[in-house]
Amino acid sequence: MRVLIVEDDQQTAAYLRKALQEDGHAVDHAGNGRDGLFLASTESYDAVVLDRMLPGLDGLAVLRTLRGAGNTTPVLLLTALADVDHRVEGLRAGSDDYLAKPFAYAELSARLDGIVRRGAVPGTAPGRLEVADLTLDLERRDALRGGRRIALQPREFRLLEYLMRHKGRAVTRTMLLEAVWDYHFDPQTNVIDVHVSRLRQKIDQGFDRPLLHTVRGVGYRLGD
Amino acid sequence: MLQRLHSTSARLVLAVALAFLAAFLLLGAGVYSRVLASLDRDTREFVRSDAADLLALRRDAGARALLDEVDARSRDPDQDDLLYAVFDRDGRRMAGKPVPHLPRRNGWTSFRDASVADRPRVIARVVALDDGGRLLAGMRTRAEDGFLAAMQRAALLALVLAAACGLLVGWLTSRWVGAKLARLDDTARRIAGGELGLRVPADGSGDPFDRVGARLNAMLDRIDALVDGVRHATDHIAHDLRTPLARMRNRLEELRDAADVDTAGRDALDAALLESDRLLQTFAALLRLSRIEVQASTEAMPELDLGRIAADAVELYAPSAGAEGMRLLDRSTPAPMRGDADQLFQAVVNLLDNALRHAQAGGDVVVSTMADADGVVLEVADRGPGIAEADRSRVFDRFERLQPDRGTPGSGLGLSLVRAIVIRHGGRIELQDNRPGLRVLLRFPLAGGDQPPVSS
Repeated sequence: MRVLIVEDDQQTAAYLRKALQEDGHAVDHAGNGRDGLFLASTESYDAVVLDRMLPGLDGLAVLRTLRGAGNTTPVLLLTALADVDHRVEGLRAGSDDYLAKPFAYAELSARLDGIVRRGAVPGTAPGRLEVADLTLDLERRDALRGGRRIALQPREFRLLEYLMRHKGRAVTRTMLLEAVWDYHFDPQTNVIDVHVSRLRQKIDQGFDRPLLHTVRGVGYRLGD
Repeated sequence: MLQRLHSTSARLVLAVALAFLAAFLLLGAGVYSRVLASLDRDTREFVRSDAADLLALRRDAGARALLDEVDARSRDPDQDDLLYAVFDRDGRRMAGKPVPHLPRRNGWTSFRDASVADRPRVIARVVALDDGGRLLAGMRTRAEDGFLAAMQRAALLALVLAAACGLLVGWLTSRWVGAKLARLDDTARRIAGGELGLRVPADGSGDPFDRVGARLNAMLDRIDALVDGVRHATDHIAHDLRTPLARMRNRLEELRDAADVDTAGRDALDAALLESDRLLQTFAALLRLSRIEVQASTEAMPELDLGRIAADAVELYAPSAGAEGMRLLDRSTPAPMRGDADQLFQAVVNLLDNALRHAQAGGDVVVSTMADADGVVLEVADRGPGIAEADRSRVFDRFERLQPDRGTPGSGLGLSLVRAIVIRHGGRIELQDNRPGLRVLLRFPLAGGDQPPVSS
């Protein structure tokens, strides 16, 4: 896909450009808000990575101008301040997701993936999610694998639903915490791991092919 | 504070009124005694010259003329208040009105005249006659006494009026001062509550209160500028320092994932990555802490259920606790309050994290919430080693770790963050002995209910 990076720090921008290109994306870069706004409104991108603090026109202003003009390109806002207020402010201004610096590239990649594919859930029938022989019935709150019913706690159900909606893609621990627990906070330990391993026991134990994989340095991925 | 102010002004009103009364009484008593003395002197002067006239008559016209004159005067209804009597040498009355009391000695005397209903005071003079008899001339001071009584009544009335006036003026003054001070007090309270942009309203009267208000405002502006400077500096540190740190971290990551790194190198890079992540986390926590500390209070925040938040946190941490051989028990009941759900969740999570880190394996950690008339309470109780009474006040300080030798993970900022969040929500923290273990209580004011007014 085609990604625009609006970032004044040359090294961060170069690092991002390199990593995104290695993943097979086409990358444009703007070093300030004015250029970024110009590129974003004249060119067509699949996603914009926008730094919040920019010389001249700042990131929020760029975002508001874009959204004001009816541009709906998914935007991932980057900032040095991971404060909840800032996050809310960013989301209100129209960003699709929010990432605090410093970030691991894997986190950025996973979130970028998330905002681009949002709404385009590769499902089958509505109300049903499928990954290999694992099926999740959203209406009956039912999980089946290989025809066998799996008993899930409500929270485990939401966890599995989120993983299935992002099937084949890596999701980070923070993304899971925010989506499944619905709180923005800094866990002091990898508290989510225990929940995932419980879920893994339920859906993978007794089957030849594991579906829930740990992605080193990133988080988890559900798929073949 | 206002209550103390009220009792202060009440005392002031009382003191002013009392001083008023004391001055009035002193002045009144002085005037009264002077008037009394002056009236007495006038009466004596009159009696003296009257007696002298009678003596002159006797000398010129003889003893019989005196007796006739005295009888005549005694009968005269116009001169009812004058008292005359002539006695012979044996003390028998020869002429004039009956006298209730004849003193042995000559000269001035004073007595009550019991022959009349209201027993007026009489000032009289007794003079010796040359035949051995005595002449008494006196005067009832009825008019003077009436005047004095009227004066007393007027004084009493004035006293009551003055006292009422004093109280009224004092009350109005204290109300006026109180209202002015209440304005300052209210503004100060709200600023302390986090509305840092608030200023004391000026009424432009230029009175001392207005001047104090203006001075306070100038002071607040100055503090604001300083705080703003600090905040800007923090933001810039966040941006300028974290960006290169992040770059370094990313390079480490690139290096680790490079193909030609052996296992030992990869382990070393992993360790370095972990260190830099921890550093960045500490940094983020510090920034977060400072930002929460300057955030406004919770008045505009949505209502939420602290019990629900506690239950969610327990649900998140229960499996981790189970893995360590501990039980995490949820005893939450609905606890409505106003606040920031993310921050409160963070606070509960930090407390749980702390409890699980320090509690002995096998012990229970119990989380409960409840609401009562005063507000809502969240309690996290563990069976760990607890915290000695002397150390309790400093566990919430930045980077304070009571057992640094135990090598427990954590930045030393977790509990500082809890405190900042609790203070921001207008609550307070209590640490208690759980015998054994530690019991942490977070108390918050009721939802919707504004802080109870300080004044009444």
